[in-house]
Amino acid sequence: MFCFSLRLRIAALAALAAFPQFAHAHGIVGARFFSATITSDDPFAADELALPTISLGNHEEDYEFEYTKSIVPRFSVSFGGGYVDSHPPGEARAAGWENLEITPTWQFVTDADGEFVVSAAFSVEIGGSGSAAVADRFTTFTPKLLFGKGFGDLPDSMALVRPFALTGVIGYAIPGTSTASRAIEWSGAFEYSLLYLQNNVRDVGLSNTLARLTPVVEYSFTSPTDAGGTTGTIDPGLIWSGQYVQFAAEAIIPVNRASGDTLGVRMQLHFYLDDIFPQSIGAPIFGSRP
Amino acid sequence: MIMRIVVANALFAGLASAASAHAFLERASPSAGENLRASPARIVLHFSEALEASFSDVRVTDKNGRDMAAGPSLAYGTEMDLPLKTLLPGRYRVSWHAVSVDTHRTEGKYNFLVLP
Repeated sequence: MFCFSLRLRIAALAALAAFPQFAHAHGIVGARFFSATITSDDPFAADELALPTISLGNHEEDYEFEYTKSIVPRFSVSFGGGYVDSHPPGEARAAGWENLEITPTWQFVTDADGEFVVSAAFSVEIGGSGSAAVADRFTTFTPKLLFGKGFGDLPDSMALVRPFALTGVIGYAIPGTSTASRAIEWSGAFEYSLLYLQNNVRDVGLSNTLARLTPVVEYSFTSPTDAGGTTGTIDPGLIWSGQYVQFAAEAIIPVNRASGDTLGVRMQLHFYLDDIFPQSIGAPIFGSRP
Repeated sequence: MIMRIVVANALFAGLASAASAHAFLERASPSAGENLRASPARIVLHFSEALEASFSDVRVTDKNGRDMAAGPSLAYGTEMDLPLKTLLPGRYRVSWHAVSVDTHRTEGKYNFLVLP
């Protein structure tokens, strides 16, 4: 067992010597570490597991998961779903499993110096794979463009702004039926990395535990193109990123009446599989780890 | 269902304790943004994980990009160490990259100032 592990490590180091650019992983581009966001997709094709993501509020409870597996470096496929318990006032209670959603993602731009990453994804929500009570019977296809940008390249005069980063997703949801509206889905996050502040800008004396906190404001909107107005939420919260896991908690604030009439909360436990299992299920199936 | 999730997560946490991960910088001397009254003899970086010495390095340069090392950098355990020439007053840049023993790579850069 030990010899096998040692051989794997030697092979990995040999690959690193041959291809030194192949050496980053989940959420890291250059000096920037992007925490995994919980409302919007993050732009990295990495081995991760979000289990569970619990959302409470607006007369509904959701218990969701997402597993992402890298197939080759910078190309992954994620599988997501969950259980919904909905009980809007004056309506019948509905509970059951959501449709399974499969999303291949290709991270095709990674600029370490600019702390910039761009990915393309194509989500397929498989109609009928969930419970009839809560899930659509038709399939929905959503091509997406995702990006992340750290502000570490700002001049010294703006040093305290460098820990900021922005991520974004824009997608176009195409339902496989004429009875449902197509929609533009846009979401993302604005975050301030205390780790980046402490290590790359100014040591403000934070403990190692506190420095791993990232205040974040996420946003998530849907704008139907056929009929109806934009709905969405603004979600301020905190993400704590450890060596192997991260914890996140956010408030859910509806932006208008059509988006909901109560505040909510969302919490997530997220595992960095590439760190937990670096030589097995946390590594790409083919090729070296990116 | 929640019980199953708790058990699965505890299993993952247990497995995680046996793994290694990205080497994040935990403290440095001189540190990011520090103002020094005298030239430091060396720079020392402490990381969250053990390092692969052959693939980890640190550089200190002045405002003109000149290397201020007085010798080779040394990585051992979770530390990286670089002896420095005498630094005149001015701004200096530290650039490091670290490869942890499981081959994950991290990097960073920061400035410090030697006061007149």
